[in-house]
Amino acid sequence: MQKSDYKNMWVYIEHDGKTAAPVGLELCCELRKLCDRTGDKLFAVILDALPETELDRVKDCGVDGIVQVRGTGYETFNTDAWANAFTVLSRKYHPSAIFVGGTINGRDFAPRFAVQLDTGCTSDAMELDWDPETGDIQFIEPAVGGKIMAVITVPVLRPQVGTIRPGTFKYAPAGRKAQIEQIEERIDFDPEKIRCRHVDFIPDESDPELDIAHADCIVCVGNGLKDAEHLERYRRLAKLLGGKLGCTRPLYDRGILPYKLQIGQSGVMVKTKLYISFGVSGAVNHTAGVDAEVFVAVDKNPDAQIFNYCDYGIVGDMDQVCDEMIRQIEARQK
Amino acid sequence: MASYNKISPEIAEQLRAVVGERRFFVKDEIDPNYSHDEMPIYGKYMPEAAVDVETTEEVSQIMKICSANKIPVTCRGAGTGLVGGCVPLAGGLVLCTRRMNKILYYDMDNLVVRIQPGVLLKDLAADALTHGLMYPPDPGEKTATVGGNISTNAGGMRAVKYGVTRDYVLAMTVVLADGRVIELGKSVCKTSSGYSLLHLMIGSEGTLGIITEMTMKLIPSPICDVSCLVPFRDVESCIHFVPKIKLANLDPQSIEFMDADIVTSSAAFTGNPIFPERVRNEDVGASILVTFVGSDEDELDQKLVKLGQLAKDAEALDVLVVATSSNKKSAWAARSSFLTAIEADTRLIDEMDVVVPVDKIPAFLIYIRALGEENGIRIRNFGHAGDGNLHIYCCSNDLEEEEFKRRVKIIMDKAYTKCAELEGQVSGEHSIGHAKMVYLRQSVGEDVFKLMGEIKAVFDPDYILNPGKVCDSSLRV
Amino acid sequence: MLKILVCVKQIPDVDLVKMDPETGNLIRTGVPTLTNPLDLNALEAAVQVKERFGGEITLITMGPPMAESTLRECLAVGGDEAVLISGRPFGGADTLSTSYSIVKAAEMKGKFDLIFCGKESLDGATGQMASQLAERFDAAQISCCLSVDEVADGKIRATRALENGKEVVEATLPCLLTVEKDNFYGRLPSLEDYLASKTAAITTYSEKDIEGLDLQKIGVPGSGTIVPRIYPPELPEPGQIIRTGSVKTDVGRLMELLTEKGSL
Repeated sequence: MQKSDYKNMWVYIEHDGKTAAPVGLELCCELRKLCDRTGDKLFAVILDALPETELDRVKDCGVDGIVQVRGTGYETFNTDAWANAFTVLSRKYHPSAIFVGGTINGRDFAPRFAVQLDTGCTSDAMELDWDPETGDIQFIEPAVGGKIMAVITVPVLRPQVGTIRPGTFKYAPAGRKAQIEQIEERIDFDPEKIRCRHVDFIPDESDPELDIAHADCIVCVGNGLKDAEHLERYRRLAKLLGGKLGCTRPLYDRGILPYKLQIGQSGVMVKTKLYISFGVSGAVNHTAGVDAEVFVAVDKNPDAQIFNYCDYGIVGDMDQVCDEMIRQIEARQK
Repeated sequence: MASYNKISPEIAEQLRAVVGERRFFVKDEIDPNYSHDEMPIYGKYMPEAAVDVETTEEVSQIMKICSANKIPVTCRGAGTGLVGGCVPLAGGLVLCTRRMNKILYYDMDNLVVRIQPGVLLKDLAADALTHGLMYPPDPGEKTATVGGNISTNAGGMRAVKYGVTRDYVLAMTVVLADGRVIELGKSVCKTSSGYSLLHLMIGSEGTLGIITEMTMKLIPSPICDVSCLVPFRDVESCIHFVPKIKLANLDPQSIEFMDADIVTSSAAFTGNPIFPERVRNEDVGASILVTFVGSDEDELDQKLVKLGQLAKDAEALDVLVVATSSNKKSAWAARSSFLTAIEADTRLIDEMDVVVPVDKIPAFLIYIRALGEENGIRIRNFGHAGDGNLHIYCCSNDLEEEEFKRRVKIIMDKAYTKCAELEGQVSGEHSIGHAKMVYLRQSVGEDVFKLMGEIKAVFDPDYILNPGKVCDSSLRV
Repeated sequence: MLKILVCVKQIPDVDLVKMDPETGNLIRTGVPTLTNPLDLNALEAAVQVKERFGGEITLITMGPPMAESTLRECLAVGGDEAVLISGRPFGGADTLSTSYSIVKAAEMKGKFDLIFCGKESLDGATGQMASQLAERFDAAQISCCLSVDEVADGKIRATRALENGKEVVEATLPCLLTVEKDNFYGRLPSLEDYLASKTAAITTYSEKDIEGLDLQKIGVPGSGTIVPRIYPPELPEPGQIIRTGSVKTDVGRLMELLTEKGSL
């Protein structure tokens, strides 16, 4: 088969039987735009049943069709049945590309079926483009700690497989198509052959301080922080502003703050009204995770990249600026 | 008893005229941190005004104004001291050197660097490295200014091999109390030329003059290094191991001591348990971290083999090697976190940094722990085993401040007496400030203390420089 | 006795990699290397399993000859044997072909019950290798493992981290695991092991040494993806930098601006 024989783009709709995870819908919205350029059809792939109302939300994202898979082996997530389903489907329908949300489970099974199909797989693209000459999708992503942007393509093999982090693309439904093709597939995976089985699930205790994705205000501390001892003032500032504390990857790596507070492509993507960064250099991987109405940056290095992303910047010692902010805000509140 | 004047609006105008609007502060423009260093428990004192100086000339003019008007002047660097040294006890003016942070030039032929006093220790160390050079003194607080290091004769971890800050100051520019500018020392390797006022300035804590520039000695940076963590069942066997390393001619760069408590705190604080609490199914009572430097790996391996043999004979639980860059990073991050780890889980804290002969370390630690228990105060400690310098922290989370201070005073009084008995000194590297003046006086005796006062009077007859510190007991605080 | 494989990678210190402004190429020469930190967490998990359940650890890596130092570092903290896959034809590989090369080389050392991998490498950061290795080993996989609870009777029970909680899973052997760092901080080597690791024998395989290796499946020819272009990130125009002369007035001005915007 020639690569031009592979047509259409697929998006995996991850769900828990009740609701569809946002990332699948985000991908449908973004790929709608790409398919309009390439002439491919956009299909949503759903394993096991999804309630009608949620299905409606998928349809509203402008999909041309839905591939609904039913069968045995899909009660709880398992790599074997999931990877198998995509391999079987892909061999039958020959899609040009398959997109999977870069959740923990998505990142678990997608690279696996790529090997089964003996094709190329990319992860964490931040932008998708298309080269009409080659017909290849260009997966554009930051590399080497955000120092460069790399264009990655799958030049020969098909399908082109990509996992994309939640929050990378906006959920902006294009509206429902008049005709939506419905494909029903039965793919049974023998439950006896599932090699890694679900035994139990223990939900995390919810800690509101760790839930920062939609906080109104975020005070983000970066690698400029001297040590954990200096952290308290930022917590205090966040509290004064009615917001939450966040951090960049180095602070998680340094063991100073938990993973759930790590903002950026490989952590939490945040949407907020006011975002204030202290000692953050501004690597693309981080700024890609910030959607703020007003972005304030404080850093001692006047050439820091972060100042390219901010609305307002102050060049200075992060601790001093923070202390002064606390002082002035407290003075106002009195 | 010295008498001082307030900074009148007229005097304020004169001072402002020296540095301009933006670097002169009064009232609530003054950074509130200027009222204390890292030990606020010794009291907070706000100055009447503060100035950020940038040049020797500015300092000279300011001192002329202040000496003419008898305004007290307290010099401040990064404010990372631990004895209240930069706190303006008598109010007056705080003269801050943080903007004098330029590395002026390197003289690669003589391996020296000329810098301003506000250069941070970490910046000097990093910059020297880019020239293939090392600034050997390595005090724990890397964000201190080098000017502050000189004023306290700071020591640090590498003192075992390289000595202390004093050993690396070759020359300096000093502004005297009346505004005269003098040059002390030269960029030479030896001198036998009269009283060394240079060395008098070092460790004088801003009471004799204001250092505005200095020439520091550097050495070629060692090519490679390796560290070893040697865990023991208890403190005694751990400390007894230290002189053996030195006697075996292993020439370590540093020998750091840590007990089980501090290792636990640090692991909780950094989240990375790099120093084990159990080794070969035994609890670790105390460990030392030994660092060697050398010109190639073979040389270091030979030292390691020797160390391993010594450790076996001394019944060490194991010898663990810190050789990779990530392990070095983690190990030194943990070691550097000791003080902050203590501070992080402690509400009230007081400290001492006595130095005793190395063989007396166990005796002193056992004594101070017993004192802590007797008085209901938690004692935490770590320190430079290689030179007998111990950092001892009295901690409490539940006592009222007054009660804490009362109990700590009992402990301190007895501990310093014990220290004297063991032939130790009041401070190894944190200096005297105002917090330890009484203990200095006890320790050196009336004759010496009086001589110190007389020297102070020669340099600063009106006692305007950093009043109430080191040997100036005229202020009752 | 469990046969355990740990896959490790030597990476350049990404903080020190710079981009040549003229050519747009990455400057890697002279940049210090280190062992991918997350691989050391995987090794620690493997060593803990070996200590609790018995076993023998084989280390494997692919890279230039200097990657040997990473293997020695890992031998010092619990590896028993080490394999280096090295040779020009392996160069320029993506995860599709690297996973093939590693599995083919590992097969030379027999069948493994457990395979441990870091979650991702700090340089490439695709996070795909583990799943692709698992597929090629025809093994079960447990990603984001927080703890190994039991290994017995050809099965492993472990707890893995999900976005909103922890999942307990049970898998049959052979099984591949990627680990979270929190419970698997690496240990320091003891002096004996450190010195022994310096002279330990390391098996080096070139493309000629690996039985049944399909040269079309390794290196560049075996890769599914290519990187036709890299470029510096395009930066937006800088925002308004507030420069009034002092921290106090800077912050004052910022407060005014934020109040105008209704952000406070």
